[in-house]
Amino acid sequence: MQMVNFDFKNEIIKEDFSLNYCYQCGTCSSICPVAFASEGEYNPRKIIEESLMGLKSLLIKEQKPNIWLCSTCQMCVEECPQEVFLTGIFESLKNKIVQTGEKYPEAFKVQAKAIIDNGVAISLSPPIIRRRKELKLPNVESADRIELKNLLKATNFEKKININGDR
Amino acid sequence: MTYKYFLGCVIPGRLPYLEASARKTFEKLGMKVGDQANYSCCPDPTGAGQLDHLTWLALGARNLCLFEESNSNILSLCSGCTETLKAVKYSLEKDNKLKEEINSKLNSIGKKYKGNVEVKHFAQVLYENIDSIKKKVKKPLKDLKVASHPGCHYLRPSEIMQWDDPLVPKTLDELIEAIGADPVDYSLKIDCCGNPVEKSNKDISLLMLENKLKSMKDAGTDCIACVCPACYQQFEFNQKEVNKNSNTNYNFPVFYITELIALAFGMNAEEIGLKYHRVKTDEILQKIS
Repeated sequence: MQMVNFDFKNEIIKEDFSLNYCYQCGTCSSICPVAFASEGEYNPRKIIEESLMGLKSLLIKEQKPNIWLCSTCQMCVEECPQEVFLTGIFESLKNKIVQTGEKYPEAFKVQAKAIIDNGVAISLSPPIIRRRKELKLPNVESADRIELKNLLKATNFEKKININGDR
Repeated sequence: MTYKYFLGCVIPGRLPYLEASARKTFEKLGMKVGDQANYSCCPDPTGAGQLDHLTWLALGARNLCLFEESNSNILSLCSGCTETLKAVKYSLEKDNKLKEEINSKLNSIGKKYKGNVEVKHFAQVLYENIDSIKKKVKKPLKDLKVASHPGCHYLRPSEIMQWDDPLVPKTLDELIEAIGADPVDYSLKIDCCGNPVEKSNKDISLLMLENKLKSMKDAGTDCIACVCPACYQQFEFNQKEVNKNSNTNYNFPVFYITELIALAFGMNAEEIGLKYHRVKTDEILQKIS
């Protein structure tokens, strides 16, 4: 029999108390477009169930169901009859996955690295700069790199997300 | 109320022609919208925040500060940016301790967030000027069947976005009507386009897109109207991927709603850069000429 891991459950509840309100009706999974397209491989109700049970290994290590498939469309949040803030709970679980050094999809790292290096997710390439001129659009002034670096240092971003894979 | 643009990353860096149509549309409406220097990635509500919520709040709050310091409100051209900036504002307003924590981080760069800045999605501002839009229409887009795709972060979570109906949205279809076109009702209107899922599983992302396209086709649409650059890219760039995977032949022209409004205002295809579209728009242009 699966036992509740209260320590981990409480850790999640500390991030978002609304987890407690879930009575496993399954509304979230029934309206989730990712659950529909993946034929149930992604299942928000299941992730909430595992959270209520505090099943740390399944949620953080094995990542079953794969929490990274959430599209953040917020349909579950909108429809939940108990006002559970599912996407907030999922976000804090993903933060835990990242910050305990477990694996996460490469595309997220690529975006984070772009933000660290350039302040934006997508930098202006020479063809785009030409195109902007053709369209008579003003120059885009990029964010102050030093200021951003200092702010990211204050939040300890690079270390937390293990961007260089040295953990 | 004075606005400045928050362009985000995707529009200026990849889709500048959408920016051109937006700027020209607001100009035509007689609205002066300024430009703000020095802002960063919002950051992406589907990306950076999933890695570290605190950093997401701090970068978002820094962006809010820049506009606050210049006494301007934010007019965002992207739904993702709108959601992030509204959600950061909402979170810091609701939780004073969190606001203090974020301000202690901002202190390291000499900034302080007070909370005196409004954030609006460009489509909201358009809707608030719908009467003026109606008056400015020179070339109604008669008989053009347009499937609006509201996308997720334009609407939800409604507690934070406070705009339109999160499950039965109407503002975009009313804007489409205002320029003389026919809004198409289709069954998956409020579903996600699948774009954010591309970061973890491209096949599922494309299946989500295919579900939407099928629903639009069944309803007899001529073209698609978006209000978010992530959704725009998913529809515009990935239709051919869907066709490759599923042996289908979707080929819907995809517009930003500002492009359709600009056309209805009588602007020509060249000045708003329609030639940069991957799915060609010629047939639509013929239909409305």
